[in-house]
Amino acid sequence: MEKSVKYVLATLIIVVLVVAVYAYIAHQGVDEFEGGDLVDDMGYSLTLTSPPERIVSLAPSNTEILFAVGAGDKVVGVTNFCNYPYDFAAWVEAGNMTSIGSFKNPSVEPIVVLDPDLVLASKQSVDAVASLRNLGVNVLVLDAKNISGVLRDILLIGRAADRYSEAVALESDLRQKIDAIANQAADATSTPKVYHEVYPSMSAGPETFIDELITLAGGENIFHDASTRYPTVSSEAVIEKNPDIMVFPDKYMGREQFSETMEDVKNRPGWELISAVQTDAIYEINSDIISRAGPRLADALETLAKMIHPEIFGQP
Amino acid sequence: MKTDSEIAHLRRVSHWKLYLAVLLIVFGIVFVLSLNLGYAHIPFSDILTILAKQVPILDNLVGSSNILPKHEVIIVQIRLPRVICGALVGAALAAAGVTYQGIFRNPMADPYVIGASTGASLGAALVIVLGVGVSLLGVNSLQILAFVGSLITVLLVYNISRVGSRVPVTTLLLTGIAVSLFQNAIVTFLKVIAEESLLHGLVFWIIGSLAPTESWDKVWAILPFILIGTAVAYLYSRDLNILALGEDQAQHLGVEIEKVKTILLVSGALMTAAAVSISGLIGFVGLIIPHLTRVLVGPDHRVLLPTSAIVGASFLMICDALSRVVMGSGEAPVGVITALSGAPFFIYLLRRKRKGYTV
Repeated sequence: MEKSVKYVLATLIIVVLVVAVYAYIAHQGVDEFEGGDLVDDMGYSLTLTSPPERIVSLAPSNTEILFAVGAGDKVVGVTNFCNYPYDFAAWVEAGNMTSIGSFKNPSVEPIVVLDPDLVLASKQSVDAVASLRNLGVNVLVLDAKNISGVLRDILLIGRAADRYSEAVALESDLRQKIDAIANQAADATSTPKVYHEVYPSMSAGPETFIDELITLAGGENIFHDASTRYPTVSSEAVIEKNPDIMVFPDKYMGREQFSETMEDVKNRPGWELISAVQTDAIYEINSDIISRAGPRLADALETLAKMIHPEIFGQP
Repeated sequence: MKTDSEIAHLRRVSHWKLYLAVLLIVFGIVFVLSLNLGYAHIPFSDILTILAKQVPILDNLVGSSNILPKHEVIIVQIRLPRVICGALVGAALAAAGVTYQGIFRNPMADPYVIGASTGASLGAALVIVLGVGVSLLGVNSLQILAFVGSLITVLLVYNISRVGSRVPVTTLLLTGIAVSLFQNAIVTFLKVIAEESLLHGLVFWIIGSLAPTESWDKVWAILPFILIGTAVAYLYSRDLNILALGEDQAQHLGVEIEKVKTILLVSGALMTAAAVSISGLIGFVGLIIPHLTRVLVGPDHRVLLPTSAIVGASFLMICDALSRVVMGSGEAPVGVITALSGAPFFIYLLRRKRKGYTV
């Protein structure tokens, strides 16, 4: 072989190697955005070409997930009802955050003004979604129906917000916590009956987070057999079903205008016959954690597990 | 010449005592039967025994034998007050409907026509959404504000409509519509800003239900208003008959029109406010029951008013009993049942007897 050809070949090999190494290093340096192709809870496909930097949340649950996966710094708009993990109302007042208004049927304009590159909507804001998409805004609708749906949404939001590894870690933490409680609860020798009041004369039926959490915590929701998600229930049905544990939301219970405290509940006509009243197994729960499709459902499960099986999980 | 149907109608009207007697018996049967319906299965004989035990003299005749204490509590402390509240609310709405249809000489009038319902919903929404709280004698502020809201609205509409010493009914109706729309807008706004967990309560209240009436407190809270309202309306039922001839005619016949109108409006408002304050907005009863009863006993308000009250009471007791049993452990909205069961029957009556029908 000619000497000059050898040089050319050697040069080529060196160039190829250098380019390959450089490309590899360059590749390492720029974190690849894994968002790419996303499918939301309504089956809508969205492709993001670059990581979003201005995210608007249209539901308290979405806000909680965004902050939990570490994308809080990208959030530029929340609703009036977002109150966790921070007191956003105070932020809005101090000018550090913008509120787009209600989470129910919000108007489009205050959202568009924020110039978001990603909007996380919910079933309650689905009317605004069509308008936003017509205006070319990237929107994902989150509508988790149960705990596994919430875990999926955490991964989806993590991918969309370019915080996938954090989301994976959070998801696996929550899954472990939930599985651990559910497994321990499954070993319980009894299945106490639980009444959860959503509002006076109204309880939670099947296909609600409340129903799912009570079941996972080793209890039996006495209105699991109802035909609607939030059934109107008579006092008589509660007495007849005779729950061992009763749980009331802090939103109503003890508030002055309903002039009913936990003590008053025991004095409702005929309720002295209910086992939960006799054993004083009456508890109050934060209604946000048990109703929002967010990471705090795991806390709600832990709280309920203590109420339902204190012999396993300790006193609430 | 009178047509056959007119003669038939007159004959029916002259038989009003018979109708009233039959309706009273029906009322009694419905009352006892609706005590028999509910989530808990309690044998009918036990219910009769439990009821007998409550009466001082019969008390000794029936042995307390083998009745579950739980069943006694359910019948006496839960079903009985609820059935009585159902009867009171049904009677109040029907009697107020008769009164308002008489004052306005308008078949479309119902107890809610001049804002009693939107006033009550506004009061309820303020309590549920904004947490406005008033506590009075242990009655919760939802009830108080619904009652006050309803009453104030009717008085407001009445005062806005006053022209000198007269209150023309057309102005009254139109003012009622305007004020209702205004209040409704506020309620809608409150619904929009309400948190989801609070919204359950508001929607529940607006749909209407007798489930919150399962305690004797509720009976005592509304009984005086409904008794007084109905009694006053009954005392003025002769004047309602004369008003039906037209206000000018009534004036000539010596009726102090404006005074009578005011008294009747207030008594109707009292009844309606008391009813909505415990049960929310139950539609249909106040509009249709007066017409239905008119088809049976004719337009004389002295007969029509008490009969409507009895029919309204029986009708709402039946609808509430159905609402308790048709959906398993939960309940169906009673307002849906009143409309679904009542409307087709009313249309049937209207078509069959329209010749003899007058307002």
